[in-house]
Amino acid sequence: MRIGIDVGGTHTDAVIMDGNQVITSTKVLTSADVMEGVANALDTILSDSGLPVSAIESVMIGTTQFTNAIIERRQLAPTGVFRLNLPSGRGLPPMVDWPDDIAEAVGRHTYTLHGGKLYDGWPIAELDPDEIDRAILDAKAKGLKNFAISSAFSPMDPSPEAYVEARLRAAIPEAKITCSHSFGRLGLMERENAAILNATLLHFAETVVSAFLTALRTRNLRCPVFISQNDGTLMSADFVSAFPALTFASGPTNSLRGAMLLTGLEEAIVVDIGGTTSDIGVLQGGFPRESNAVIEVGGVRTNFRMPDIQAIGLGGGSLVSADGETIGPQSVGHRLTQDGLIFGGNTLTATDIVVASGHQKIGNAAAVAGLPEHVVETARKNMLTILDRGIDMMKPGAVQMPVILVGGGSVLVTGDLTAAKQVHRPEHAGVANAIGAAIAQVGGESEKIVSYQTLPRDAAIAELTQEARDRALGAGAAAESLRTVDIEETEVPYMGQDTMRLRIKVIGDLAVTSAETSA
Amino acid sequence: MKLGAEHLDDLALGSVFLATGGGGDPHVPKLLTSEVLKRCGSVDLLPPDQLPDDAFVAAIGNVGAPTVSLELLPSDDEALIALEAFEKQMGRKLDAVVSFEIGGGNSLIPIMAAASRGIPVVDGDGMGRALPEAQMMTYAICGIPSTPALACDYASNVTLFTTKGTEVYERHIRALAMSSGGMITTVEHGMTGATLRDAIIPGTVSFALQLGTLLRKNRGQAPTLVAPLKALFQNSIYGECRLIHTGKVVDKSTRIVGGFDVGRTVVEGFEPGDTPVEIDIKNEYLLARRGDRVLASVPDLIVIVDYETSEPINAERLRYGQRIAIFAIGCPDFYRSPDALKVVSPRNFGFDLDYVPLETLPN
Repeated sequence: MRIGIDVGGTHTDAVIMDGNQVITSTKVLTSADVMEGVANALDTILSDSGLPVSAIESVMIGTTQFTNAIIERRQLAPTGVFRLNLPSGRGLPPMVDWPDDIAEAVGRHTYTLHGGKLYDGWPIAELDPDEIDRAILDAKAKGLKNFAISSAFSPMDPSPEAYVEARLRAAIPEAKITCSHSFGRLGLMERENAAILNATLLHFAETVVSAFLTALRTRNLRCPVFISQNDGTLMSADFVSAFPALTFASGPTNSLRGAMLLTGLEEAIVVDIGGTTSDIGVLQGGFPRESNAVIEVGGVRTNFRMPDIQAIGLGGGSLVSADGETIGPQSVGHRLTQDGLIFGGNTLTATDIVVASGHQKIGNAAAVAGLPEHVVETARKNMLTILDRGIDMMKPGAVQMPVILVGGGSVLVTGDLTAAKQVHRPEHAGVANAIGAAIAQVGGESEKIVSYQTLPRDAAIAELTQEARDRALGAGAAAESLRTVDIEETEVPYMGQDTMRLRIKVIGDLAVTSAETSA
Repeated sequence: MKLGAEHLDDLALGSVFLATGGGGDPHVPKLLTSEVLKRCGSVDLLPPDQLPDDAFVAAIGNVGAPTVSLELLPSDDEALIALEAFEKQMGRKLDAVVSFEIGGGNSLIPIMAAASRGIPVVDGDGMGRALPEAQMMTYAICGIPSTPALACDYASNVTLFTTKGTEVYERHIRALAMSSGGMITTVEHGMTGATLRDAIIPGTVSFALQLGTLLRKNRGQAPTLVAPLKALFQNSIYGECRLIHTGKVVDKSTRIVGGFDVGRTVVEGFEPGDTPVEIDIKNEYLLARRGDRVLASVPDLIVIVDYETSEPINAERLRYGQRIAIFAIGCPDFYRSPDALKVVSPRNFGFDLDYVPLETLPN
């Protein structure tokens, strides 16, 4: 059996799953220290199910803690950034295009140095040990402990980054360091941004991961613990301590994967309606459709793989105008249970409309009995129109598709959606994220520029596949279940015959799954 | 008009659309140009007919592999170094600069150079789109010598070219680009205002700006962009504008042949049973066919956009699984002349077919 936990900004959800069956589930408030909420959720599902902790073979956690930290600019450690690419890129220092508030939260402690490589391995400049040591001395004097290191073409040759990392460790033994080549693909600025966002979260990651582990260990759960990442695959808890940034879009991904499991539908639109927004995503072949665009996290461009999500301003707490014509995007959010009319407050919200129209029995219905019928009807229909428009934006083409509703706000859907072939409201939809976390897979990626003249195509694909497999195995995959899901080949123009940018991704089941099967 | 930092987003968006798959990601050139404009002030965008006959003008831009510039970042003073070296070589100050091609980064480099130098940039370019080779530029087709030309690399190494013809020049700068990390800045085609006026595709900078504004304001699924795009193109030097296909990329493969990115993409329709559309690529999107039927061909423009946002997608970023829409747009009349078609017809790219103007092809 597996436990899936989703630690959101407001709620912590947990489920126990036996294979693809939900045994029990719960939803509790997220605590300020994260740990208490996780502990409460665990206690509830363990006691509800009556299962001994020894029956649990793995725990999967999805969390938006790190995304929220970036978006809210909190828990960010001052971070030194070392980039090796001079004399190229003059006038383009690290963080040059960051929003000021996050750049200031992280600090603009940037050092642009000589080094890095060209596409063919030729050095842009030789490393200058004195220049590097002077920068390290300056960073040390500032008291910096967190560091990101980047170097041009480091996915091809990480040695310049490794050199600076070693010098830094020698000078500042307690340093927490992220090298950009850990984030794979080409695109120096996006890869460097990912490394900086990761490095600035390293102290917070340690706190969060140790809170998770403490909550589990004090309940004698000694099984492996995994945390889900952007593309629906899993990482070990240790790995997350080093790479918290890889969790950034795991929330929407888990909700989509959970919706897939609950309905068995592999091609569908998933609408996750919360208190403030509805997140609309698309399942293709059982996995989230990825975004084509460069992904921004908290206003910073990154190279992460992320699902294509359309967020629209409609949720259970959305404000409704007195005539019912305007709904959202302002919302009372988590204050719904105090501010909404049916909860004794003074604010007309989307949830009040649904109760007034007789579609739901929540709170005190008498409080909305006096609302004019035409206002209720106008608002109710407007909500459906808003959702229809959002779904239409995401739909692949003109054909209708099944729509799966998940999240607490799904009560807002009180009639037919014209964009939907059929509306599904699966049981346990409120904890779809936790279910998605519980069924996540593990993956590994590798990318390089290779010349097929020096390394034949078959050998290049084999070498990169092996690298990707090694990364997946490092993240906890079972070797026999690994399969290649993506081979991307882009020839680099003007670079001579047969020079390719090659990227390979493999995914597979968690090693523990096969242990379960054999047990 | 004056071009300032506030125009760059729309200008870049519009010129990536006109780049027909080439041109590269404009994000970094946009950042650099924006910084230079903030530091040095805005730039005069000069219509070609306002250039004095004896004004001295040169074309400036980047030559190389867009993929490489993802790692080998450009510098804010590269354009100025190249420009000053060119002036020193020619013994004469430039009165204005002009773009090779209205495409991604190469529509921004001249603006950065002009701002650094305090001179105007000419409203127009040498292609009206992006094309892979130097001899395909209107300046070359009109017989303007491409050299003396100067190239500057990432380390400010400067190289002088004096070649016997544009085809040779093209081979030489490509060889230098390859040995300089894959990307160089060149200043070439020194010419007078009078000469340029007869050789330029006019108004393309302001048009790209207008197009970018339209794409931003109407951001949404491709079919909703058809009417506004048609209205814009029909009243321009381009003319015909058609949505020729929507669907999903089911294959993309490219190989380098003779130093070019040559390959094909296959786009399956959203409706089951549709015949897929194939697009041939040589750096840019060159030929779109459904089965045996030609939907559009070079020198007309073939543009691939993201289906959901209608944002143009460069050839190097096109990949399996993307949901896209394909537009075709008529090229400026210059490229339909017999002299131009001698260097830019489908046959020049190895296709065994003659050019048929878009508007005479069945829709």
